[in-house]
This record gives sequence, structure tokens and C-alpha cells, in this order.
Amino acid sequence: MSHLHCITVVLDDKLVTLNAAVGLLRRRNLPVRSVTFGPHVAEGRSRLFAMIEADEGAAQRVALLFEKLIGVDEARVVPAADTVARELALIRIRAQAESYGELLDVLGLYHANVLEEGPDGLVVELTGPDTFVLSCLRAVERFGIVDVARSGAVAIERPAESPRAPTSTEASVP
Amino acid sequence: MAEILTGAQLMCRVLLEEGVDVMFGYPGGAIMPFYHALPEFPGLRHILVRHEQAAAHAADGYARASGRAGVCVATSGPGATNLVTGLACAYMDNSPVVAITGQVSRPMMGRDAFQETDIIGVTLPITKWSVLVEDISTLADTMRRAFAVALEGRPGPVLVDVPKDVQNQRIEYTPRAAAPVRRATPVADAAALDAAAGLIARAERPLILAGHGIILGNASEDLRIFAEHTGIPVITTLLGISAFPEDHPLHLGMPGMHGEVHVNRAIQHADLLIAVGMRFDDRVTGNTAGFARNAKIVHIELDPTEIGKNVPVEVPLVGDAGPILSALTRALAPRSCTSWWEEIDASRRPQYEQFKGDIAPEAILRALHDASGGRCSIVADVGQHQMWVAKLFPYRRLNTHFSSGGLGAMGFAVPAAIGVHLARPDEPVWAISGDGGFQMNMQEMATMVQEGLPIKLAIFNNGYLGMVRQWQQFFHGRRYSATPIWSPDYVKLAEAYGIAGYRVEQGVQIAGAVEAALRDPGPALIEFVIEQEANVYPMIPPGASLSEVIETAPAPEPASA
Ligand SMILES: Cc1ncc(C[n+]2csc(CCOP(=O)(O)OP(=O)(O)O)c2C)c(N)n1
Repeated sequence: MSHLHCITVVLDDKLVTLNAAVGLLRRRNLPVRSVTFGPHVAEGRSRLFAMIEADEGAAQRVALLFEKLIGVDEARVVPAADTVARELALIRIRAQAESYGELLDVLGLYHANVLEEGPDGLVVELTGPDTFVLSCLRAVERFGIVDVARSGAVAIERPAESPRAPTSTEASVP
Repeated sequence: MAEILTGAQLMCRVLLEEGVDVMFGYPGGAIMPFYHALPEFPGLRHILVRHEQAAAHAADGYARASGRAGVCVATSGPGATNLVTGLACAYMDNSPVVAITGQVSRPMMGRDAFQETDIIGVTLPITKWSVLVEDISTLADTMRRAFAVALEGRPGPVLVDVPKDVQNQRIEYTPRAAAPVRRATPVADAAALDAAAGLIARAERPLILAGHGIILGNASEDLRIFAEHTGIPVITTLLGISAFPEDHPLHLGMPGMHGEVHVNRAIQHADLLIAVGMRFDDRVTGNTAGFARNAKIVHIELDPTEIGKNVPVEVPLVGDAGPILSALTRALAPRSCTSWWEEIDASRRPQYEQFKGDIAPEAILRALHDASGGRCSIVADVGQHQMWVAKLFPYRRLNTHFSSGGLGAMGFAVPAAIGVHLARPDEPVWAISGDGGFQMNMQEMATMVQEGLPIKLAIFNNGYLGMVRQWQQFFHGRRYSATPIWSPDYVKLAEAYGIAGYRVEQGVQIAGAVEAALRDPGPALIEFVIEQEANVYPMIPPGASLSEVIETAPAPEPASA
């Protein structure tokens, strides 16, 4: 049965290794939903998150293929349902004096923080599952979005036996 | 004791430390410091090829025949890109090739400098590792690791790209052993071994499918013992040919697209397939949906990413083939497969090849075999002749058949034979090509002459790109589009290169020409003028299952469309 898997790969921080890892995903012709890349806690290491739609065997094989790459330390597969996934969005919104209060109310609903304020607009920060981020974007669209920077999802395995699936934040998406 | 070396000298030193004695290459601007240092190292023989593709295929041939890494060298840009087909071929067939390329100097990199190509980017998908040496301090260890990576586990090619200024940098050098191998070979787990042994003991119609992994893993003796212990028929894939002696009563033949009917039928009727060091290529399985529907599969394979890739596997045994086969032998009581063999033997048919004229491929291959009493290595190119060689040459000695299996790269045979010869200088090496594939790398005759390499060249000249013509005949209504191919006068061509050349147009000339070519101390060429429109039978059409076999040419279509 095909379902969403999160593959997390720990690799060195060389661009050529990232190139090889992304090339592998492309070449194996896999249904990739998203790829995110960032630093890892270990010095000189990076971490790549790939969400792929595949059956268990194929997902495990991808992890093994990653582990064959020189520069990759380890690759793990977790069914997406067993992970907590979040992304960060930075949103720049045009300031409009007349609707400012209303905007702050909407942002409050999404626990979005205002990071910068200026005469022509503000920058807010928001984290959540991708559906939550998209929902917030829809909600603030009418105030005038100037730009959005999305990080893509990073994910981490839930503690064993965690009852929180789906998470309360996901459930409370307005 | 430390000494000061240039990067180029250091590269040569590491090559020697890694046991390299011959390499195949072609100089150019970005690799000139390396070539400048080379004459200081007489232990490194350099074979100047005529095209870098040939250097890569020759290194591949050397690696396959010797079990050691084959080395090829090229300059940046066009030199490096010319290696690509050879590296892709080595990658598909798991051949440990180390390619060394020059790169433009570091200050020039990234500026589209003259002959700057991102060869790392180009070769990432066709190597186990492609690495740019960014500083001389890492050069020695990178080179050592390149050899380790190429050879460890499932072998494959590695490319080391060395900027020209790094080759000219100087460093204090201390000889050191190669970096340790990254991952230990997995050991198949005991429960899986038990499960496999149980399936084998209970199977009524088991088969062994032996692939290249038997040769790469030095497991042919373990395979023979396992087969004799159990009486199970042994099928050898294209790259598994010569992993198991073909005159052995348990040898069944080659499976797949051009496998004999009784071999494919056995697969379709089997209740258990024991696949060893093979990867269920589509040329073996045909349409996987209709492949061996009645069989459970035990897959013995070093690379876990192969398990379940193409066909579902009941019991995977991940690890070295030899120890796993001998563990299975120990776990099983001796058995036989008498009634299964009777069933298979009853389905045997007479040979299909009905060649017109008397220069049948079979007669040629028998002559090649008999002239050296089978003591020769055969390197086949790609096409119809490749299938005839695979099916009709009686391979009895381990690892004496070489062919571009996974990539199917025409032009492989002539340069790969150079590598095979250098690994086995004491026995004849035949490069067998079609008139198409021969013309792809025939320039390498000059290499053979310049380097004194007595390789024997056989051309099966049918005036067509035969295998494509056969598909056109079968599946494209005989529209022979771009498949008739003109050839030069090969005897005169041989003469122009200063080597012996023979044209064989009648059956009675075959043995004489073969013997004369073998007697000649230098390279020699024989052109066999074979039937123009002979076909390889039987054939499973592409995309069909192993049960849907073509045994005769389709009737010519009415000349309407
Ligand atoms: C480099 C390359 N180009 C094209 C092909 C496609 N191809 C496969 S077999 C074949 C015909 C080979 O003709 P020839 O060398 O004359 O051998 P024959 O089949 O006649 O024995 C071709 C063109 C290939 N395998 N490799």
C-alpha cells in the first residue's frame, strides 16, 4: 500500500553530496512531494527531508540507496503519520492603517509573531504543518501579501505511543 | 620517510601503492602535469588509446578479467566527456574502474574556462563516487579511497577530478595504506537462511539463476557444490555466462529475451527460483507481471537495494554469495530433481538457428573454441552476434566471457579486449563485433599496433545493424530504416594498420583463417561474411512475458502501406 513516507537523510554539508542525493530522487523516478534541506546538529553535517508517496518496500529501498552514496551517514524512513512535521513561513504584508487591528486579530488566531514593523508593512513569522501555513496565507491574503518565504517541512519522529495523531494544531486549523 | 612531491608525482605513487601496473589514457592540457611525471614511474605502463571511450572500456575489460581496479586517464572537457559511455557501462555491470581526469586550475573553475566541463555533475549518476580534489592535502587519501570505493561491496566506477594547479602543488608525502573500507559486508541472517533452506528442501521444480555476482564474488565453486548437492538446474544470465561450466550436466542455459524456449519455459513452470548475484533485468524477466507466476523467489544478493526492486522476493539473503551458498549446502540434505529434469528435457527443442549458407555463427564459434582448445577469452560487442556468442560458444572456463550487459554499449568489444588481454597476456583474446559495433571503435587497432597487443578481431559482417534490422523485420513491417550499413574493405583496412587480415566467405575457410590469425604474433582481423538477414531465435518481444515466444519470422506484410 502506497502512502506518504518521510525519509530523513544525514549527509555531509558539501553541495556535491546534496546534488547526488537530489539526483537519486529524480533518477529513481519517485513521487516526491517535497524536499527540504538544512543544517544538522552535528558539525559539518546537513539533513535532508524527503516526503515520498510509496509503498513500504520502495521507501526502504530509497533509504538504502541514499546510504550507498558517499557522504551520506544514514537514511531513515518513517511513515509520515508517525512524524511531527512543521514548516516555517515568513510573510511580508502591506500595512493598512484602517484594517491593522483586524490583521493582528487574524495573525493571533495562527499564533503568528510580528517580527518587523515599518511604515509600508510588516513581517510575520508562522510555524505549523503545511496545511496550517496555507490556511493562514489564505486568511491574510486580503490584507495584501508582498512576499512569502516558506522553509518546506522538517520532520521528526513522534515519541513512541504518542496519542497525538493528528496534532491539536492540525485539528484546530480554522 | 617523508619527501616532497608534486601532486602529479603523488598520484603516480598512490597508483603504484594500490597495485596498478597498467592504465589507459589520453593526454591534454589539464592533465599534462600528470603526464609530465609519468615517465619517472616505469612501473606504470600507459596504453595510449585513440579515443577516451576506449580507455574507459579497456579499464573495464581489465577490471573484469583481473578482479582488480582498471584505471583510465583523460584530460578535462572533451577528454572527460568521452569517458562517459565507458563509465556508464562499468556502472551498469559493476566493474571497478577508477577514472582520473584533469580539471582546469582552481582559479579558472566556474568561469566556463577553455575545456572546463563539470564532469562531476555529468558523472554523478553513473559512478559510485565522483570527487573533485579541492586541495593537495586531500589528494592522496582521495585517490586511495577511490580504489577502496571502486572495489568494496558491489564494485563500480569512481571518478577523481584533479585541477591542474593541484597536480602542480607540492606537498610532503608519506606512503600510507588505503583508507579502511566504509561498510562491512552484511552477513545473511540465520532465520532467513533457515527459511530459504526450507523452501529449497520442499521445492519440486527449483531453478538456480546465476548472475554476474557469482563471478564478482568468487562464488563459482560454492555454486557448483550447491548445485551438485541439490541437483537443481543452473541458468546463467548474460553476465553470469562462464560462472558455471556449460558442459556440466546441471547447466541449463540462458534465460530471457533470447533464451532457449526450454529455459524460459522452465522458469515459467518453476515453483522456486534461487537467484544469486543477478538483478532481474527486464531482458531476463520480460514483463514482470507474467514472470515465473508459480515461483517463490529466494534472492541471494550483496546489495540490499536490489531486493524487491523488480520482482517480489519471498526470502532475501543479503550478503556474499559464496558463504551463503555454502551455508545452504550445509543446511540441506542431498537431493535430486529427477522428475523436474525429465520435464525440462522433454521440452527441449532442436536448435532454432537455421542459417542459410555455411558460415553459420555456430561454425565460427566452434572454430574459435576448437582452435585454442577453449583456452581463450571472448569479448562480445552488442547485437545479434552478441546473442550468438552467448548461446553458442561452449564456455567451460570461469570468467572467460565479457560483454556490455546492462548498458548494451556498441563499440565495447574492441577496446575492452585490450584490457582483457593486458590482464591475461598468455592466452588468446577474441573481440567479436558486428560490422556496426566494430566501426564504432575500430580506431583502436592503432593502439594494438603501437603497444604490441596481439588481440584477435572477429567481425560478423551482415551488412546491417542486424539486431535493429531484426526488430524492424518483426515489429516495424520490414521497414529497414537506417539499418543497412556500408563497411570498408576490412582486409585492406587491416593492411593499412599493418596487421594480418582475412576475409572468410565460405565455410571451408573458417578453420584456416582462425588458425592463421592465432598463429600471427600480432593483432589479426577476420571478417566473416555471414548471411545478411539471419535472425536470433527464439525471441520474446519487448514488453511481453517469457511465455510469448517468437520462433519464426513473421510473414512479410503485403506491400501496401
Ligand atoms: C552505442 C549504441 N548505439 C546504438 C545501439 C542500438 N543497437 C543495439 S544492437 C544494434 C545493431 C548492432 O549492429 P552490428 O554491430 O552490425 O551487430 P549485429 O546486430 O549485426 O550482429 C544497435 C544499433 C547500441 N546498443 N549501442
